[in-house]
Amino acid sequence: MSWKKVFGTLLALLLLVGCQPKSSTLEVQNAWARPSIAGQNDAVYFVIANGTSQDDTLLSASVEIASSTELHMSMSEANDVMTMKPMQEVAVPAHQNVEFAPGGYHVMLVGLAKPLEAGDTFPIRLIFKTAGQIQVQVTVKEQ
Amino acid sequence: MDRKLAWVGLASLALIALAIVATLMLGKPPQFRGTTYDPLVPAPEIALKKANGEEYRLTDQKGKVVLLYFGYTYCPDICPTTLATLKQAYTNLGSDANKVEIVFITVDPDRDTPQSMQRYVNQFDASFIGLSGSTADLQPVWTEYGIFRELGPKDASGNYIVSHTARILVVDKQGNLHLSYPYGEQWQDILFDLRLLINQGGSQG
Repeated sequence: MSWKKVFGTLLALLLLVGCQPKSSTLEVQNAWARPSIAGQNDAVYFVIANGTSQDDTLLSASVEIASSTELHMSMSEANDVMTMKPMQEVAVPAHQNVEFAPGGYHVMLVGLAKPLEAGDTFPIRLIFKTAGQIQVQVTVKEQ
Repeated sequence: MDRKLAWVGLASLALIALAIVATLMLGKPPQFRGTTYDPLVPAPEIALKKANGEEYRLTDQKGKVVLLYFGYTYCPDICPTTLATLKQAYTNLGSDANKVEIVFITVDPDRDTPQSMQRYVNQFDASFIGLSGSTADLQPVWTEYGIFRELGPKDASGNYIVSHTARILVVDKQGNLHLSYPYGEQWQDILFDLRLLINQGGSQG
């Protein structure tokens, strides 16, 4: 085995490990939302890292700064048409990361009670079937 | 003597080949990263009210590159993501930004006024333009630009989702529909094409 091969294998292993949750618990990481104005809607994005050996399910989300929230998935239909589908729940399989990101899963905030400016933070509470309630801070930023 | 002749012959051949390649390259249209309209078609007129009450006419914008994007202010994900992408391309144009106009047109006139559309785009850049009007005013625009829209069912609070065509359409300085991008295009690719379109055709725009 050449050094190149050894290096390549190590790199591939490292990359693989990088996609797996690092801790042995279920964590919600890098929560963010775009700046928005009062009365308008917004979306919260984050990564759910399920480091446990048990499948889990995201059941709901809530924030104090909006009148309601919905779990959504944006998806493309034929001919460049984009739509959003309300999700009753989102599966978070064991040892996997589920990404909530622009153009995919997101928590829609309906009717913001106040404007959100870059640098602001606010709490979001996520309810999981097994992990229970997890609260994290959402950072407001452009991208 | 023979050798000298052979060299001259070879050199001439090389020069001719070079000339052919150069002509081919110069004659080629620029390579855009977006989808090119083939053939280019004159962009249908758009005449809609702006937030300040003035009428916006697409035909008045000749000489500028105009990016058209259709969406709605209730939209939490696809529309803001696309406008944020357009903002990045726009900002990176630097001093050429005044040669480009970014226009956001509603697919949801029952909820969007010219004012709410303008407030929405102001979050990204105050020089973007938000347009709305009556369904009767907008229907011909959606039809002529191939914009599909479908209102989803109303929920308990009366809210609804609008499925809509999420392509960005680009009108060149001569007023032709020139390029389009699907949802998810990188801002760097849009910036690349905008620079080509700005410099295209010299001062004839």
